Amino acid sequence: MTDKAEYRLYVKKNSPRSPMVRSLFAAFVVGGLICCVGEGIRDGISALFPSFSEEEVGAWTTVVMIFLGSFFTAIGVYDRLGRFAGGGSIVPITGFANSVVSPALEYNREGVFFGICAKMFVIAGPIIVFGVVSGIVVGIVACLV
Amino acid sequence: MKTGRQSFTANRPVYVRSSYTIVGPKEGEGRFGEEFDTVLKDDLWGEKSYEKAESKMHREAIRGAVCLAGMTLEDVDLMLAGDLLNELSASGFAMRYFKVPFLGLYNACSTFSEAVLLGAALIDGGAAKTVTCSTSSHFASAERQYRYPLELGNQRTPTSQWTVTGAGCTVLGAERPTAEGDRESRERFSEKMKAMREECLEAAKAEDAEKKTRTEAGDNTLFSVKGGAFDALKRRFIRAWRPECLADPVCDAAYERKFVAKITGGTFGKVTDFGIDDESNMGGAMAPAAADTFIAHLMDTGRAPEDYDAIFTGDLGRFGKEAFAHLLAKEGIKTDARYDDCGAAYYKAEQETFQGGSGAGCVNTVFNAHIIKRIERGELRRVLVLATGALLNKDTPLQKETIPGVSHAFTVECEEL
Repeated sequence: MTDKAEYRLYVKKNSPRSPMVRSLFAAFVVGGLICCVGEGIRDGISALFPSFSEEEVGAWTTVVMIFLGSFFTAIGVYDRLGRFAGGGSIVPITGFANSVVSPALEYNREGVFFGICAKMFVIAGPIIVFGVVSGIVVGIVACLV
Repeated sequence: MKTGRQSFTANRPVYVRSSYTIVGPKEGEGRFGEEFDTVLKDDLWGEKSYEKAESKMHREAIRGAVCLAGMTLEDVDLMLAGDLLNELSASGFAMRYFKVPFLGLYNACSTFSEAVLLGAALIDGGAAKTVTCSTSSHFASAERQYRYPLELGNQRTPTSQWTVTGAGCTVLGAERPTAEGDRESRERFSEKMKAMREECLEAAKAEDAEKKTRTEAGDNTLFSVKGGAFDALKRRFIRAWRPECLADPVCDAAYERKFVAKITGGTFGKVTDFGIDDESNMGGAMAPAAADTFIAHLMDTGRAPEDYDAIFTGDLGRFGKEAFAHLLAKEGIKTDARYDDCGAAYYKAEQETFQGGSGAGCVNTVFNAHIIKRIERGELRRVLVLATGALLNKDTPLQKETIPGVSHAFTVECEEL
């Protein structure tokens, strides 16, 4: 039989690769559009509720974007968008909502407790852990400085 | 009879009594769409989860094949079955409905050829007279087990494959099928399916002393739907508005075979690991196993690729197919137009499956719907089927293991009916 190292090299060289230009373009356009929607919502909220401070407007925009991400995941649109856009729809906060809601939908059949609650963070878990850990580190640094 | 190092040759004919396939909607739109017995309109098939749907497809495929063989469950000596789910749950749960001895098999996507080889060897050796060989896989249940939740918005890599939603069953027997028997069992197919369902229901009820089994008399879903007024209402609603969700398996009554296929031998494969560690490139990981088994088969039997009218690998995919040809070319063996890959041929290009189909149902449904029909029409006289499997689970790549592959080959020949 063929030499194993030689075969590995053959596979590495000849396997089909992701179309880089197309992927980057799709991610740029879709990611940009999602951010534009976010900006639009931000402007809308500050126009509707002029009494809100800058921070409050930001928080409400986040809430609306998370809702939209979850909603479009639940009606089965977000995975199609993700298949086209790749990183463009994963990186914004709507992608985070998608990564929490999609396991919740998937494991809903195992019941509320061991299904939805236990499995909800299988994908978003690392992000939350890193968020918390970096929060602690930054907190300690800020305390010392 | 053992032939060479890894192969065996059947001393007496092991006939393919019948074959039956059930596939999902996407597969129905694929290249072999016209040839499957039942194409579902809905991949949940009225069930509550994809795992249950897979199990239902599995058991209905077995029932369909047994009915087409003109048999009852009494006539079946042994059932060989396998699938991709943890602890073979799709096949194991399907077996609750059959009071027939069961052997569960797992060799990833090559389970089907493992079942056919074992079935043929058992019949040849006289341990059984009639054996069913069935496997199933379901896109949604495999995605959940091996990859990510369905609704997650991630991108598939160009080397990835699409797990086939499908189940198929082949009935192997020592007894030769007859044209009259075929005609009769095709004409009375739905009647016989119904009778067999009733029989399964009776058996389940008799066993269920505590009345915990939720059944609806004569209904094809048996255990799957809960009792109660709300569920009854929901079922009535589904039946009225989306009757295709609960469609019954069907068969083509007009189909007639001119030739009968028989399993004449095969080669048991060794596990081969060439150190590929990319779990989204299964084709590359499995191609060396297929090449290894193919070379062993040729050495053991003393045949050349030209002795076969067609050679099919299981689910190497488009790239794996090239890698297989590349490995054989290095050994000085030429594969030409007579070689094809079931997975690579499964879907049409516009269906966006990248490398093509994979899964335990892939080679099974292609064999039972496409290859066997070509043999039965007399287009192919001798065929070699090399199903391939990647023996990994979700955790092994994370533990930095490489992907071992395995491939088993069986030979099908034909004789006039």
